[in-house]
Amino acid sequence: MKYILLMSGTKAGVDTYHAWSQGDAETHMAVLRSINKELSESGEFVATQGLAGPEEARVVRGETKGVPVTDGIFPESKEFLLGYWIVDVESPERAYAIAGRISGAPGPGGAPTNMPIEVRRLATER
Amino acid sequence: MKYILMMNADKRNFDAYAKWSKEDLQRNVAFMRAFNKELRDAGVFVATEGLGAPNEAKSVRAGGDGEPITDGVFPESKEFLAGYWIIDVESPEQAYNIAARASSAPGPGGTPGSMPIEVRRVLGGFADLGL
Repeated sequence: MKYILLMSGTKAGVDTYHAWSQGDAETHMAVLRSINKELSESGEFVATQGLAGPEEARVVRGETKGVPVTDGIFPESKEFLLGYWIVDVESPERAYAIAGRISGAPGPGGAPTNMPIEVRRLATER
Repeated sequence: MKYILMMNADKRNFDAYAKWSKEDLQRNVAFMRAFNKELRDAGVFVATEGLGAPNEAKSVRAGGDGEPITDGVFPESKEFLAGYWIIDVESPEQAYNIAARASSAPGPGGTPGSMPIEVRRVLGGFADLGL
């Protein structure tokens, strides 16, 4: 069964991340890379993507005279998707364990970020 | 450049959707199938996924002992990802045009749903994070 693990954050959260030292950011990414490698080796890896920052985000609603109506204003509390992993696992518990690993990736000073990771089943199976 | 088009909805929206008539659902699904085919024919299609309902959603944090801490309680206002498309296009404007098409998918009675579609650029890799 396929699950998607969603990492989200508010603009304030993203700003905090941008203030991380280069060393902290590199350590964080190294752990994420090694998790990706482990998932590839175990055959559970399906896909991963990182998204550009919230400042580029737009919301589109329908169109007026053939022109899409776009808006770039979001509530302060809005959670923006930062990135995701899709994994193909035997059980939801295994998906939660992987999400826990991602949440435990080191942040500033090497302490786990403890970021909440939202785990959702994929409805589309092909 | 790659963009992700996301449909987000709160629990009330999901509950309302669950009450759509079979005819309304079929009309919506037919639109989505045709839309996906258009994207493929135009050579901009990369991926699409639909997600399971929010009542199955869990929020997971790292536990001190290596065990994940799971929680299934979310604020009423929480926006859940319902599904997404990834497209590979020439410009953000092209992504907005395609998002507007997705937003025009028919809702109950066949009127355009006008669902908000969040458009975000997808990063190429770690290099885009400056690492």
